[in-house]
Amino acid sequence: MKQAFLLVLIFITHSYVLAQKTDTCHYELNGVILDEDTKDPLPYVQVNIKGTQQVTITDVKGQFHFTGLCNEKNVLIISCSGYCDTTCEQHHEHGKSPHIYLKQKVNSLSAVTVSVAKPKEAGTTSISQQSINKETLDDKPTQTLAGAISEIDGVTFTSTGTNVQLPVIHGLYGNRVLILNNGLKHGFQNWGSDHAPEIDISSANNITVVKGAAGVRFGPEALGGAIIVEADPLHLNEDMRVDIGTGYQTNGRGYNVKTGFGKGMKKWSYYVGAGYTKIGDRHTPDYSMTNSGKQEISANAGIRYHLEKWDFRMYYSYVSQDLALLRSSIAESGNLLIRAIDSEQPLFIRPFSYDINEPNQLTQHHLGKAEINWWYSKDSKITLRIGQQFNKRSEYDVRRNAYLPIIDLNLATTDVQLEWKHPDWKKLDGLVGLQLFSQNNDNNPGTGTTPFIPNYNSIRYSGFVIETLKKTKSTYELGIRFDYINNNVRGRETSQAIFRDNYHFSNLTSSLGYLLRLSDNSTFRTNLGAAWRTPNMAELYSFGQHGFKTSFGLLRYSSDENGALVTSRVTLMNQSAVKPEKGLKWVNELESQQGKNNLAVTAYTHYIQHFIFNRPVAVIGTIRGPMPVFIYDQVDALFMGVDFTWRRELSDKLSGTYGISYLWSHDIEKNEALINQPPIRTHLKLAREVHGLGIFKSSKFTISPSYTFKQFQAPRTIRPEQLIDGSVQITTESEIFDFKNAPNGYFLLDVSWSFKWKGIRCGVSIQNSLNTRYRDYLNEMRYFSNEVGRNFQFTINYTIKP
Amino acid sequence: MNKLNSIKKLAIYTMLVGVITISGCKDDEAPAPENEEEVITDVKLIFTNNANANDVVEAMAQDPDGEGVQELTVLDSINLDTGKTYTLTFEIINNLETPGGDIGKEILNENDAHQFFFAFTNNAFVNPAGDGNVDKASDPLNYNDYDKNGNPVGLSTTWTTSSVPLSGGFFTLRLQHQPDIKSSTTGANDGDTDLLLQFVLNIK
Repeated sequence: MKQAFLLVLIFITHSYVLAQKTDTCHYELNGVILDEDTKDPLPYVQVNIKGTQQVTITDVKGQFHFTGLCNEKNVLIISCSGYCDTTCEQHHEHGKSPHIYLKQKVNSLSAVTVSVAKPKEAGTTSISQQSINKETLDDKPTQTLAGAISEIDGVTFTSTGTNVQLPVIHGLYGNRVLILNNGLKHGFQNWGSDHAPEIDISSANNITVVKGAAGVRFGPEALGGAIIVEADPLHLNEDMRVDIGTGYQTNGRGYNVKTGFGKGMKKWSYYVGAGYTKIGDRHTPDYSMTNSGKQEISANAGIRYHLEKWDFRMYYSYVSQDLALLRSSIAESGNLLIRAIDSEQPLFIRPFSYDINEPNQLTQHHLGKAEINWWYSKDSKITLRIGQQFNKRSEYDVRRNAYLPIIDLNLATTDVQLEWKHPDWKKLDGLVGLQLFSQNNDNNPGTGTTPFIPNYNSIRYSGFVIETLKKTKSTYELGIRFDYINNNVRGRETSQAIFRDNYHFSNLTSSLGYLLRLSDNSTFRTNLGAAWRTPNMAELYSFGQHGFKTSFGLLRYSSDENGALVTSRVTLMNQSAVKPEKGLKWVNELESQQGKNNLAVTAYTHYIQHFIFNRPVAVIGTIRGPMPVFIYDQVDALFMGVDFTWRRELSDKLSGTYGISYLWSHDIEKNEALINQPPIRTHLKLAREVHGLGIFKSSKFTISPSYTFKQFQAPRTIRPEQLIDGSVQITTESEIFDFKNAPNGYFLLDVSWSFKWKGIRCGVSIQNSLNTRYRDYLNEMRYFSNEVGRNFQFTINYTIKP
Repeated sequence: MNKLNSIKKLAIYTMLVGVITISGCKDDEAPAPENEEEVITDVKLIFTNNANANDVVEAMAQDPDGEGVQELTVLDSINLDTGKTYTLTFEIINNLETPGGDIGKEILNENDAHQFFFAFTNNAFVNPAGDGNVDKASDPLNYNDYDKNGNPVGLSTTWTTSSVPLSGGFFTLRLQHQPDIKSSTTGANDGDTDLLLQFVLNIK
């Protein structure tokens, strides 16, 4: 508590004038350290150039000065014990890492990048995690949340077409990755691979991916990891600012606009923002992807009132989406499924259009949050967070009565979280929390079909304790959590008879983490974390056709005495063999920075008991002809993998980042490959900064080649016609299979150029610049269509400070 | 300090009130019953002798649990007489509901997006001759009904049996759903299949 360290990167943008080849130690560095909030100078702060003996103390004006530096780029270590003692106590919300503001000034500093290590959420400090900041998000404003974070090693996305993308962390997705939207678990229809979180990333200030089981801190479903989306931080004492941004992309002729304004006063801070995105049909190198556009409207606002010991925040966000799904992905009969899979091209191709027709999804998501923080004593805090979310989803399908939604659901989610950061006690720093989470899902009448998901009320009571013990070089973290979940379910059978169930689960989750600071430059983290989740409603109650699959949930089928599948009754949970999924993940990370190299290696092992997945099980004769039928099944599964990232400063202006992620996954109960697991991906990113190129103040060129391998762990292939004509027999005991071979590996080349001109930030990027024809193994549309071809994207962002 | 304590209490009370309100409002309603418009359980083929309305031949196929896994069963063979002209119509019903829902009406309402195609033993009929229009849409078939675009539908078709008896032949009907696609040239492989049933055909 007495000392806080900040790593501050200073990029000196002018090469210094005194350059002489014989003497390389000629750089100077001047700076001013100010309080970020009050902009008051901070005297007596110790500043030290990392890797050297040079130390100085700021003067009364907060200024410091170094001469005779040998490198153009320097990492400063700012030890601000004095600052903390005098200032932090008055501004507890800054916690242990005070905001320091380095004013750009004097000769050699024309642009300063201050990167402060973000404080990690309690309970996750020993877990590997990476963040993406606003500037990176601004470069590709039309991408999805999953697309935005997929550049992190070990993270990818699974998709149903171009608009519906779900993040995948170390092979797990959907209900196994918890999405924390502004401190609340995003309450949406999180089932199947065709429902993406309704989050507008252009309103996000920062996105952090936690790559380990964070079940203790965040609750059930954080089995594979968590994604933390943070909104505008609502800083105090900030000048009025107005942000405007717009962009255009050639593929899909998409455009977007966004705007926002905010201001931080002494006690108050607020911001308001809104955005609009419209994209038409995308195209592959060869054909238009008919019905692949989207439209999105978003708005958000936040307000904060800050007192010495109190901090109040209110936040609201709204997202409305109309997402088209590829028209050619519709196959309700075995017949069409075979033809669609066999065809080189989608069966339905029309010229470009902005129109969104069936199949499509209309969603609206409201999120409201109020948060109170109270620093009632020197090092302790009480936080109360109350959230209310309302999610409305209607999906339209190509069918008779296509004007009626086939799925029409209202989901209301309420969160109440009470957290107590207790005073340091025998060197233990801890967080105790109580949470209440409840969801109410209702079907809206008038779909003309039996509800696919029943009505349900789910309520969860949880309590957790996370304790951290910091020693000089080591940090220990222990967490324990208890959850009780009750579900009350009411559904309809196809005869319209009502079925009901009421069941509950409880579970104790724990995690143990250790962080070792090997040296100033190297850190080792290890975390053994447990997490669990209850099966979702689709996994339990699916009955019949959705998309091109006819699926039966865990409680909707049983076997008769001959082993044949029976779907005539709904099993009650307590009479079934259905168990919640339980996972144990051990994740290790070694981060090291030495000279010009920056290395991070993450290795993990993840065991999941009662892993739930969907697999084909039989072919049945239906009135539409023979159809393959899927069931949900549970097995014990093991996931192991490594993510490796290596960044190297190749020269003053050129940097290279190389990354590779590898995952091995297996059903260890039946000794077979799992389906839909991410293949090996390797990528390189070369970035070159150029200053003073013509009229442009600063430019950055990047070139990012990547290669995604063919998934060689894919299950065997059985074509639907082999099932239908009976040449291959399958039973509930058969090995997992897929309808089509995993697609071949592919090479993609992305290029981008961003520059600043008179305070305007512009970007030009080309995705898939070689116009490669490829299919992605994790895209459900891989059966039907190639991926999107070359795309030019142009963005302009400007911040006005009146 | 007193003031702070009361605010602290207030915060905790707020939390408690939140908990009570939320757990207090639990609804227990099942989804409203729906008129199931997707499921078809029974399809009846009705061949009516054009010369005698009382001479009716029926054949039925049934998928008793609709979307469930129970197998489709074709209950009857089609037994026609030689050298007669019949009109074929359908009863397409969802019998999971009581009373059963008439899906035939739905098809009629959207006849510009639906077309029946047929395949049968070669030359089982003198009119239409050949083996039907599943393999080739332009092959002969006698549609009696057309949609607003002048394209055939097939809820009613006319058939004249051959004078040569046939035993153990086949008669396949295929209803294609062709929204935004249906045209004068679209065939049995365009769009998605709503019905695909094969019956044994006997002509005596």
